[in-house]
Amino acid sequence: MSGFRDERLAALKAKIATLEAGGRTDSESLPFGDPRIDSCFLGDGLPLGCWHEFGAEGMEAETAACPAAFAALVAAPLARRGEAVWILRRDDLFAPGLVGLGFPAERLIQVCARDEDEALAVAEDALATPGVAAVFAEVEAVSLTAGRRLQLACEKRGATGFVIRRRPYGGKARGATGSAAASRWRVTPAASEPGPGEFGLGPPRWAVTLERCRGGRTGAWLFEAGDAYTHEASDGTHPLRLVAPLGDLQLATAQPLRRAG
Amino acid sequence: MDRAGRRLGLYVGQKVTDAAAIAPDLITAEAEPEADALALSALVDWCVRFSPAVAADEPDGLFLDISGVAHLWGGEEALLADFRARLMANGLAFRVAIADTPGAAWALAHYGEDGAIARPGQQIGLLAPLPPAALRLAPETAAQIDRLGLKALAQLFDIPRAPLARRFGIETLTRIDQALGRSKEALTYRRPPNPWFARLAFAEPISAPDDMARVTIDVAAKLCARLEKEGQGARRFELCFHRLDGYVAPLTIGLSLAGRDAARIAKLFAPKLETVDPGFGIEVVTLEAAEVEPVSGRQARLDSLIEAGGAEGLAPLIDRLTNRLGEDRVWKARPVESHVPEQSATPGAPMAPPLAGWDPERPRPLRLFSRPEPLELVMAPIPDDPPVQFRWRGQMHRVRRAEGPERIGEEWWRGAIEDARTTHIRDYYRVEDETGARFWLFRAGIYAPGVEAKWWLHGLFA
Repeated sequence: MSGFRDERLAALKAKIATLEAGGRTDSESLPFGDPRIDSCFLGDGLPLGCWHEFGAEGMEAETAACPAAFAALVAAPLARRGEAVWILRRDDLFAPGLVGLGFPAERLIQVCARDEDEALAVAEDALATPGVAAVFAEVEAVSLTAGRRLQLACEKRGATGFVIRRRPYGGKARGATGSAAASRWRVTPAASEPGPGEFGLGPPRWAVTLERCRGGRTGAWLFEAGDAYTHEASDGTHPLRLVAPLGDLQLATAQPLRRAG
Repeated sequence: MDRAGRRLGLYVGQKVTDAAAIAPDLITAEAEPEADALALSALVDWCVRFSPAVAADEPDGLFLDISGVAHLWGGEEALLADFRARLMANGLAFRVAIADTPGAAWALAHYGEDGAIARPGQQIGLLAPLPPAALRLAPETAAQIDRLGLKALAQLFDIPRAPLARRFGIETLTRIDQALGRSKEALTYRRPPNPWFARLAFAEPISAPDDMARVTIDVAAKLCARLEKEGQGARRFELCFHRLDGYVAPLTIGLSLAGRDAARIAKLFAPKLETVDPGFGIEVVTLEAAEVEPVSGRQARLDSLIEAGGAEGLAPLIDRLTNRLGEDRVWKARPVESHVPEQSATPGAPMAPPLAGWDPERPRPLRLFSRPEPLELVMAPIPDDPPVQFRWRGQMHRVRRAEGPERIGEEWWRGAIEDARTTHIRDYYRVEDETGARFWLFRAGIYAPGVEAKWWLHGLFA
């Protein structure tokens, strides 16, 4: 009896997956290499050929350093495979910093757009270009229409978009939108832990919440950039290491502290 | 100075008081050498419609190399007549002459008959009656020659070369040789004559946007056919619309990889065409290619379709972006061997091969501010401990962990050693606050008792 149920469920899941993929059957995914997070997604890994949204709160909503770093490391295996384009509104991305984290910034093409619409148009153009594997766009918000357009551009060549939400300095926060995104992440910095016997700062850590995940489950984890600031990188594993799953409780206490500071 | 003034006997360089004595109702105006130079360079640009090789002759003249172009107008006389009519229509006062050498043309234009054309072999005869000043000599030399009673060039030509050089300097000899074509003269052309040049002239002036788009494709096809025949490609194209009233509207595009695909080039020009105001109509369109280099008809490798697709797909994207946004808005970071953080990465060409050069073991921030931001209320134990707390953008941060200092001095070997200062030294600290946010801050200068340290935030780690 239960065998029949499982079979039914698997068939339904597959049907939903094809619907979600928009008719494309070769929906690839990029596994993190840790079942605790990979199981949250439909295809056992971050789905490719669609776009993902990364945001933050407080000071980070303006500087967007942590969401950018996390998105870069999520996409690092893609950037090694094909071309990567990073679209900025403020020209303050520092390539040596990305290299230190373990992202191949030597090959990264950076584009500085004059306004929000132009940034989205460039992102769309880049996503639809053959050979481009990952496109990062630092924009304030993605409207429903713009999000749908990005999705169509992604589906053209199977490129993956990483939208980093960043509001202009002194600007007002706009509400989260973008239901066209395949997933939505919130990245906040977390205290680093230097290894035993070491002092100073440990590898960078982030408390990451997967707030929305199309066809999958949400969750919260503590990530560490294991390969940061060392030469012994790129042994084939994912540059992000899952340190521990986070209960919502821990995040809930972390948030008010930041606002009060 | 206008013609009426010259008739009264006024000359350039005369004192205003002297001139006013001759002509009491004299109108004076401030000399504007910069504006004159600008006007001359505009005129030089305009003259390109006659010949691609135009050289400005400061302060008030220009040379036009018409070798091989006169037949387009049906001879030198017709060319001169057309040139004259167009200059006249613009209300310019001028004198022109055509000769075999720049020196002879200069002499005839300044001292000879206006509109003189020196036929082959007649040049020396036309030059003979002109005064020595026609040789473009230094004023002192010209005055000396004049003082000796040598009033015509013919007399100078008769003097044997050795005594002439001894007497009036080697410069006089050079100028004579240049005028008579015995020695070469290099002119500084507006830009080097470019063989990669295509031109379309229209019987009827055009002004409709559709026509402009069509002639862009035509002229691009014309140039690209030549490029293809010779196995070349270019990275930069300049399209010029020559308007009836003499105004020239240039448009430029750049390619990240040298190319010769007419359709692609025309497509890149297409969005810029609407910025061109056709005025009363456009009669000539020219297209020039620069940075021409050999391009072989590359064949995409069959075994690595993805890689070939990357190179083919990326170049058109970069061309679209650089031509739409501007060249300085699309780049690939290029490592520079410099300890100064803001100088260690510079924008490079987007299609350049990637260069490794940054040391991943030296932590650098993800966001680097172009201008470090001042920190307030910094509490740091002296002499060189990291801060315990600081305020940035109105928010207090209490430091939980810190690393440093990493001392980065100025690169004193690049400048004069006297300019090196200990105050230019920065001590960088990587700090983490209670929430986990990581900052890169530095103290400017070396600790000195009694001097309050200045702290700055230079970047943010992720």
